[in-house]
Amino acid sequence: MTTSHRLSRRTLLRATAAAGGAALLSSCARGSGDAVELAYWNFFTGSDGELMVGLVNDFRAEAPGVRVTDTTLMWGPPYYTKLAMACAGGRAPDLATMHASRLPTFGRELLDEWDLDELAARGVSLEEFPRPVRERVQIDGRLMALPLDTHPLVLYFNTEICERAGLLAPDGTLAPIESAEQMLDAGRRAAEVTGSIGIAFGAADNLAGWMVFWSLFRQLGGEMRLPDGGPAEVDRDAVVQAMTFLHDMCDGTIASPTLDGQAAPAAFASEQAGFLLIGPWEVTTARTAGIPFSMTQFPALYGGTPYVRADSHSFVLPSQANVDPAARSAAYDMAVSMLRNSLDWAVGGGHIPALSAVAESPEYLAEKPISNYREAAQVVEFDPEAYFSGSGSTLMSRAGQSIQGVTSRSLTPEQGADDLIGWLDEQLTFGSPL
Amino acid sequence: MTAGTVAAPGVAPGRAATRGGGPSLVGGRGGIWFVLPFMLVYAAFVLWPLVYGLGLSFFDTSLVRDESQFVGLANYVRLFSDSEVWRTLGVTLLFTVGSTVPLVVIALVMALLVQSGVRGQWFWRFVYFAPFLLPVATVALIWQWLFSGDFGLINGVLTGLGLPAVGWLTEPDIGLWSVVILTVWWTVGFNFLLYLAALQAIPGQLYEAAELDGAGGWRRLSSITLPLLNRTTGLVVVLQILASLKLFDQAYILFKASGGPGGSATPILQYVYDTGFVDYRLGYASAISYMFFVLIILIALVQARLTRRSEP
Repeated sequence: MTTSHRLSRRTLLRATAAAGGAALLSSCARGSGDAVELAYWNFFTGSDGELMVGLVNDFRAEAPGVRVTDTTLMWGPPYYTKLAMACAGGRAPDLATMHASRLPTFGRELLDEWDLDELAARGVSLEEFPRPVRERVQIDGRLMALPLDTHPLVLYFNTEICERAGLLAPDGTLAPIESAEQMLDAGRRAAEVTGSIGIAFGAADNLAGWMVFWSLFRQLGGEMRLPDGGPAEVDRDAVVQAMTFLHDMCDGTIASPTLDGQAAPAAFASEQAGFLLIGPWEVTTARTAGIPFSMTQFPALYGGTPYVRADSHSFVLPSQANVDPAARSAAYDMAVSMLRNSLDWAVGGGHIPALSAVAESPEYLAEKPISNYREAAQVVEFDPEAYFSGSGSTLMSRAGQSIQGVTSRSLTPEQGADDLIGWLDEQLTFGSPL
Repeated sequence: MTAGTVAAPGVAPGRAATRGGGPSLVGGRGGIWFVLPFMLVYAAFVLWPLVYGLGLSFFDTSLVRDESQFVGLANYVRLFSDSEVWRTLGVTLLFTVGSTVPLVVIALVMALLVQSGVRGQWFWRFVYFAPFLLPVATVALIWQWLFSGDFGLINGVLTGLGLPAVGWLTEPDIGLWSVVILTVWWTVGFNFLLYLAALQAIPGQLYEAAELDGAGGWRRLSSITLPLLNRTTGLVVVLQILASLKLFDQAYILFKASGGPGGSATPILQYVYDTGFVDYRLGYASAISYMFFVLIILIALVQARLTRRSEP
């Protein structure tokens, strides 16, 4: 009895060792077959996640010789921390998604540049991307990221509510809004119709707050330069004025001071608000709700140019200790394939396609309401350049605190501005960790 | 020696049977082999990181840069003038006080109620303990919806009763207390179980004797139950303070890493995390966590002294 027991245990151990060894061997066999292994990281979940899986599957169908392993990680700090560590450790994926606004952190050390000749061989040239985006994705003249789209702040409006509030032009589009006062007034009139609020705005959402703040700040001509070592060079007046607008808007009638990132689109989808201020990706929410709505470019509330905060989902080549030429070549193929197939991405997710071949295609132009705001790509304003800036960054989250302090009325706009600028100064004295 | 020790179990049965007692597991040389696996893991994942982290705190190590420089005590000097360190430490301490009191009192009350002879004790035991079994992400998601300002169940009930809605997740004065409420609901079951076990260990004769002497319910509670629970209360308070000081995950998930309205629910551990992993400043983050580590040791020492004094 004892003997047979021991034997079976040994057999088990041997079997385990053999299985482990086999697994080890098979993982060493990477690339030995004819298929090229390609690791791709992204951060898309929800409806964008589904669309991204579609793009990846399109490429799989186009390139049967490439075995793509796509990994989806949580958006924000978790994603960028993991990617930075993978790059610093030399074992990064072959291709990754990144917000163009995060390039200041990653661009100089952690990424390889895109070879323009390789791109040209696949029929893509820099001139095909909108100018502001093109400028943002180049560092010292080197192309560090290949933009897939631009996603600016946009203005959603409920056509029925706006019609009853008398806010529509005769042709059924939104009557022009040309000043901050007109925007607030439109919100008030929409609130009268809904009996609730006029503008659904995620006052408790750092991203929503920052998008509106940065758009207005730039429309006001505000400049923010963040030199290493500090102090921050910021137009305080423009900060105060942009925060004053947010303060006035979140008065409980025009906009609620308490909606968060999920509740704001939900309020718009349930017709408790006539407008929604957020990125274009919430088009899915509005469509699913089946409400009568349209979308338009965020208007110029100050000055004559409707500058608008935006970011670009783009593709990057993380630096690796050992670059496999076959995988690198497949990464170019895959990125270009996704750019070419980005019509579905644009139509489904509301993003403005970066590649002009797609953005000017009749199929895209026919897509309403999402092609209404395509001109925004020409006036987009990216976040200020600093290692702690960009989508999902410390700046966005900390600025969100100041902005939320103002919208919840625990800070005056002046105090909010000093709070933000004071923090920027302190942050800059740390020196860059890059 | 190694071979002998390993071979021993195989030879032992026959001899041990005749001798009528095997070698002691406690005193024998074989003992080390039983603790070795644990010690290896402990050394690799607790001791070494502890030493390594202490070393890091004297360098300007960055997560994304290869080289780093020795900066001496600069990180420690810096943290004393970093207002965010003290602000987030204040948040953590406030949470610790604010959550420990209800987590001890409510657990005690719940245990007394269940012990009082209510029918279906197993059911109450299960219900009170069940939330403790949920993973933190699940708990935070449930409460995100309950707390939601305009759609949440709690505000729905409040407005239904004619009360004003509360900005559970959006008002700077309230954000941290929402974390307290969530934490009490989530973890009170553990303290409850400790109290219930202690209550069941109190001999029934004591109550019978007291009853014969004419002691009423309140008198029995204050003169028998509570004094006999003193040791358990001490244990619960110590465990709870240490657990509350470690506040991070539920606040981080509840506020989606934003630190709460106006940063009002950013515990110091989140500041350490953000400094090290979001802003890539590992050296400075280590210095902050070591300062906090020393503080926890001090609190533990003070507490140990207090409990020793209160014991007869």
